[in-house]
Amino acid sequence: MNEVDTTTWTVFLILILVILLPIGWIMVVLPAEPYHVVQGEPLREAVENSGIHIVSAIDYNLPISGATGGKIYTISDINGNLFTIHTQSFDSVESRDAAIQLHNAQSAGRGKPVEDVMVVGNHIIYAKPHMSEIIRQVLPELQKKRA
Amino acid sequence: MSEDSVAPKKSVLTPPKVLGIFALAMINVAAVLSIRNFPSMAMFGWQCIGWYIIGTVVFLIPLSLAGAELATMLSDKGGGVYAWCKEAFGEKGGFIAIFCEWSNNLVWFPTVLAFIASTLAFALSPALGSNSIYLFSVMMIAFWGTTAIAYFGENVSSKFQNYGVILGSIIPSVLIIGLGIWWATSGAAIVLPPFSLGQIVPVLDISTLPFFATVILLFAGMEMAGFHALETRNPSTDYPKAMAISAVIIFACTVLATLAIAFVIPTNELSLAAGVMQAIQYFFNAAHIPAAVAPMAVLITIGGVVSLAAWLIGPAKGLGVVAAEGNLPPVFNRTNKYGSPVAVLFIQALIGTFVSLLYVFLPSVNQAYWILSAMTVELLCIVYLLVFASLIKLRYSRPAAPRPFKIPGGMPGIWLIGGMGAIGVIFAFIVGLMPTGAFTAKETVFYVIGLLIGTFLLSVPPLIFLKLKKPSWIETGNKEG
Repeated sequence: MNEVDTTTWTVFLILILVILLPIGWIMVVLPAEPYHVVQGEPLREAVENSGIHIVSAIDYNLPISGATGGKIYTISDINGNLFTIHTQSFDSVESRDAAIQLHNAQSAGRGKPVEDVMVVGNHIIYAKPHMSEIIRQVLPELQKKRA
Repeated sequence: MSEDSVAPKKSVLTPPKVLGIFALAMINVAAVLSIRNFPSMAMFGWQCIGWYIIGTVVFLIPLSLAGAELATMLSDKGGGVYAWCKEAFGEKGGFIAIFCEWSNNLVWFPTVLAFIASTLAFALSPALGSNSIYLFSVMMIAFWGTTAIAYFGENVSSKFQNYGVILGSIIPSVLIIGLGIWWATSGAAIVLPPFSLGQIVPVLDISTLPFFATVILLFAGMEMAGFHALETRNPSTDYPKAMAISAVIIFACTVLATLAIAFVIPTNELSLAAGVMQAIQYFFNAAHIPAAVAPMAVLITIGGVVSLAAWLIGPAKGLGVVAAEGNLPPVFNRTNKYGSPVAVLFIQALIGTFVSLLYVFLPSVNQAYWILSAMTVELLCIVYLLVFASLIKLRYSRPAAPRPFKIPGGMPGIWLIGGMGAIGVIFAFIVGLMPTGAFTAKETVFYVIGLLIGTFLLSVPPLIFLKLKKPSWIETGNKEG
């Protein structure tokens, strides 16, 4: 293929780099959350330590391989608005990461999924839309559990 | 491939004109209508109506009208958004538009492929959904299988899409709507609060603004039929009708099916943690037909494959035209006897396979992949901004050009439609930069900067390619057999 000259290879290289660079950036800046067993209910503790009221907590088990149980928390902000957060713990790093992958695949339209996911050791926390503000309040306490 | 030939100078091979109104409409429906949007939007309860109205007024209607006018005006040119934006802004504008549409696909493919694999796993054995080998195998079968369908040209791929979209998107939507109507009329409790007009008004605050970008792009893909201009029998009359039919089908199915799910599943129990099929299972169990869940999973899987096909074929055809015009090295300029851009399809499949491999097997990429999904939103905003700007500019630069379909209202009309669409996508681009969820201040800075740099990287290559362009790229391409 005599037309495959230096310029052609440059074009190929650019095509590969434009894909690899954003992925590489993610790997460097946001590395995978290490898997470690966090005892108790990290979300409950973080919410309570942040001064947010838990209205109810019911047991919940995701129908996913490796899921070992979790809760559906209903919490209330200072204005009395109610929010629901699902949590689930997993028995291995593989099952936890598979659950994250499954969640990522549920994007709305061409964008990202409407639920936000937080990973704390062996736990995944699924926050519904509209919850960014309340999540920011809980985040500092959750960060302590992630270490 | 012995049957591969090359494109004639400055054009792709003259393809057979096999597409009519129905086939064009189904291409758009395949690209836009997706069952996986319904549970996500149902989480918003009655507010989903308000969000859908915003998406329809600010994006679906403007893009449908813009697509109809541009596609009929430039019906003798292949390349879809490439041809439209090139006509208005020259090669650079056209190339950037089509490259953004194509490159955002490369990032999007793994998520839709993972959706296909996990939904099929629900029908076979849910445990498979957490098996990386299974996931990757099914993803690759779907990806390369769809690429193979694209290889056999418009005649085969349009038939596949026609049947597939009916089976995988329209029938499941109608089933969900029918069950929702049955639920509402059978006396069963509707879990939504009583309806009032105030209930449909979306909550617009700092935490919901990023969602605006998602809503706008729920209807992304209405331009997809434009990539098939050269294969359309009567573009001047068929395009506007196909646009109208597809917009009505998409809007009606999306709104009604979302409401049906919201009627049945309490918001606090609606979660995407176990996938869309969890919501569908809840829905069918509540309707006392659990046996319908597995067949429904198969149908939704087909819908996912059809959506993949629409997005895989359209932009690749556009990039094929770019290559045929000598803006890419000759190795990209290969069309087979069916008129398919085989080189672009093959390169696309190779890159898509590589990104999927990283997505499935690298935990860090897996956990943060949604950030790349956010990048696709930014890239699509660039595409649509260029489309709306082209719509307006061409009314000034080529006022006398025949427009079999013309947006009514003269210049005020074009500014209203084009301006509304442009403002919508600019706003979506800005709010699309806002992170949601668990981000520290430092991570937020990295996120925004990274998103902007990533978007820049994925959109700027056309300018480099045009700098590298050689006259021999057209001639060499023509010589290869």
